[in-house]
Amino acid sequence: MKKNDLYRKTVKLSQREDKTYSARSLKQIIYSSDARDFGQVAKSIPCQAACPAATNIPGYIRCIYEKRYGRAYELNRICNILPGVLGRICSRPCEQACRHGSPDEGDSVAICHLKRACADLKSPMHRIIEGFYAPSGKSVAVVGSGPAGLAAAHELTLLGHRVSLYESEKKPGGMLMYGIPEFRLPRDILMLEIENILRLGVTLKTGTKIGKDISLESLSKDHDAVVVTAGCTAPRSLGIEGENLEQVYNGLDFMKAVNAGEKPFVGNKVLVIGGGFTAVDCARSSVRLGASDVRITMRKTVEYMRVDEHEKHEADFEGIRTQGLVQPKRIVSENGKVTGMELYHTKMEYMDRPPWRTTVPIENSEFFLPADSVIAALGQTPSPANVSQTLDGSDICESGCAMEGLFAAGDFVTGSSDVITAIAGGRRCAHSVDGFLTGKKRKETVVRLEPHESTDRSRSFDFIPLVGMNTLDLDERMKSATAEVESGFTEEQAEEEAKRCYLCNLKYEIDPLSCIYCSACIDVAPKDCIKMIAKVEINEDGTFGEYRETRNWNEAVSIAIDNERCIRCGQCVKVCPMDCISVTKTELIELDIEE
Amino acid sequence: MATDDHYVIIGNGPSGNRAGEILQANDPEARITIISDESVPLYYKHKLTSFIAGYVKEEDLMVETGLDPDRIRMRLGQCVERIDPENSRIFLRHMEKVRYTRLIIAAGGRPGLPQSMSAFSDHLSFLSCFRDVITQKEPVNKAEKFFVIGGDLVGFRFVKMLAAMEKEVCMTLCPEAFWPFELKPDMTAAVCRNLEPLGIEVLANDQAASVAAQNGAYNVTTANGEARQADMVFAFPGLVPNISFAAGQGIDMDHGILVDEYLRTNIDNIYACGSCAQIYNPKLKTYATSVGWPNAVIQGETAALNLLGENRVIEPAPRKFFELEGVRVRTSWWEDVDDISERKPVNRDTHS
Repeated sequence: MKKNDLYRKTVKLSQREDKTYSARSLKQIIYSSDARDFGQVAKSIPCQAACPAATNIPGYIRCIYEKRYGRAYELNRICNILPGVLGRICSRPCEQACRHGSPDEGDSVAICHLKRACADLKSPMHRIIEGFYAPSGKSVAVVGSGPAGLAAAHELTLLGHRVSLYESEKKPGGMLMYGIPEFRLPRDILMLEIENILRLGVTLKTGTKIGKDISLESLSKDHDAVVVTAGCTAPRSLGIEGENLEQVYNGLDFMKAVNAGEKPFVGNKVLVIGGGFTAVDCARSSVRLGASDVRITMRKTVEYMRVDEHEKHEADFEGIRTQGLVQPKRIVSENGKVTGMELYHTKMEYMDRPPWRTTVPIENSEFFLPADSVIAALGQTPSPANVSQTLDGSDICESGCAMEGLFAAGDFVTGSSDVITAIAGGRRCAHSVDGFLTGKKRKETVVRLEPHESTDRSRSFDFIPLVGMNTLDLDERMKSATAEVESGFTEEQAEEEAKRCYLCNLKYEIDPLSCIYCSACIDVAPKDCIKMIAKVEINEDGTFGEYRETRNWNEAVSIAIDNERCIRCGQCVKVCPMDCISVTKTELIELDIEE
Repeated sequence: MATDDHYVIIGNGPSGNRAGEILQANDPEARITIISDESVPLYYKHKLTSFIAGYVKEEDLMVETGLDPDRIRMRLGQCVERIDPENSRIFLRHMEKVRYTRLIIAAGGRPGLPQSMSAFSDHLSFLSCFRDVITQKEPVNKAEKFFVIGGDLVGFRFVKMLAAMEKEVCMTLCPEAFWPFELKPDMTAAVCRNLEPLGIEVLANDQAASVAAQNGAYNVTTANGEARQADMVFAFPGLVPNISFAAGQGIDMDHGILVDEYLRTNIDNIYACGSCAQIYNPKLKTYATSVGWPNAVIQGETAALNLLGENRVIEPAPRKFFELEGVRVRTSWWEDVDDISERKPVNRDTHS
């Protein structure tokens, strides 16, 4: 086929005019389990590699650009059953890894906001796609309906098992329902996505506390397997004088009260201790309860806060101050009422293990901050003994605990983490349970390689600035404590932001047998992404290592495209006189293992 | 004998320039480079408002330094994107990588606009650097009605200059948001007392709540419900350390780059000084940011000497007094850190 014929054909298929086309591609779809392909995907698609659930991020962003919001939503649901929820509250490890945020490249793509966009913009009548296996006749109890429990229940149901989901609180959702404020996560969105799981046939039993209403042992007898996803519920204590005063709260209890519609006393001046999402949620909730002076304090520096930049921005916007390098010494009171807190200044110091930096209080550096209330948001730890006295915490594992048929997942295993990590853990655990119940491995992850004729990006996309999220004005936020602050992208905004994605799932390759070494591609490359290669190292795990570059023609074995630097502008494809540059779409997918 | 040393200084304010002078004088063999996003050499910031009004010529803005152009390579108008301490490299925005053997960060400050004003920041004008002044000089001379969000001492100079130019001026003054110190009631009263006879309307204890563009002008509303129209809206929010290029690379930073009393960061060959640094003060037992040109100069000097192998503890410059509309305000980088540093890390060019 001549290049012009190909061009006409693809234009007809896509009806878009802003694409460029390669003339040479793979001829068929390949499913690969070669370590080199896994290595290439991991290195070239950093957002997906950073996502604990390995979400196909470039895939769903491209669907948004094509206005296929339902497909984008379903691509998310393959690994993450709560896209509308995560599109609002994810901790966004993907955005930190996004190549658009590297030096010289500008700002990371707003991946999380785009995730929300596909949930918001899909048709209300959108068809949910689920791939059911035949019923297995086995039953599984899942303890805890937080993100890990929901993910495990969903996956186990699809795998054909009968699932009962036990929840100690009145409503399902765990931390999502009780720990996160409504102004960040509207409850109708949460319930809609939970309902999508429950209506697959999961039996929800709320108000049932395992370890109190039913013993773990009896649950084990009634089911073929039990998955404990009881989360982290035991708050870390301050361990200082005054922490039992009435106006001193732990962060989770405070948020539970706020989310139940209560109005705990905060007064005018509030000191929040901690640097994570709960601390910021408590601080922002305090502002909505009427506090005029809210300050978040933390031992390390502001840079070490375990929240993303958006949350820092919103807290700052709402007038919340942050003070790093301080540590509480005691909470001061008069007549049983909090009047403030005495703190130490701290210093950063080196430690000989990760995370390498720690803080130490400075002797005789005490100072006083006035306060009407104090909220200690230091995080929580798992409490296995509350589930069963036989659990001591040391044998809790996703792939199976000491007690036969007992599994665990989420924060209950890892300690406090984030929602997407918990969902990934729940899903992994479900497959371990399935292996235990059926004696089989039913799915395997492979790399799907598909010929891709279009380069899909225009160079002009590289100059689109980051699209900011629409948010409520300060006045509107304060009028209703539950009003959602972020209002989402419009279709136009979503399309603009989607264009910014580098589509790192497209692999560009030069065919060394056709290449005539004219170096035209090198000349037009806007980045240092096409290189003369003397050798490619192979890592111990079989993946490709570093390219050894050369400037000496005698040493060059090929000209290669470095897909870690490539921005998929398509310039090289356009200029190649030999049509020897191909584009391949690479995806991590799960395939059924045939019997 | 020539050495392989390449000392790089980021920033060409008083601190960076002084560091350059010291390095040049004390290590005749080393290569020295100053990189700055400012496109002009060192200038007197406090004279910028007079320059707008035409009272001062451009050449009078410039500071004569002892930098030898044959010894020090000035790379002006070049923006540092990132530091890579592991490989001792600096990434510039135009994709160049610059290697260093030792580095002094003296990047100064940038306007510290509160997030609450970010919604209308596109409508605000600033006078924080030479580039701003060149851009704003002509529009300021043409405009008649000004709304000024007062937040620092340059703002006072600016409104007085506008009054002298017979412009119509309205200014907000929010004591809690003033920089680098919170205004006490007597200071606020003194400011009003002295500015109002000049024809300047002062909205004390108030802040801009919204700024909307309409037909080439702006409608401003305040938190107390006042509404004004203006041809230009200026904000003077003080400065915060300009350190974003150093974030996430293993250099300890809080609101500024953390250094010990020797101005050393936690990375062996990197020092920081001037208003981008948060310096450990053994007397206060905490980290503090600094105020004033004299402090910046002495810190630049100390950082450079320590980089060359000395072991000098930074000392505060002689205390500096501001004349704030009849009230004498004392500022020194050793003081009031808990009150102000966390919200608006302090820096101010106070040369006078």
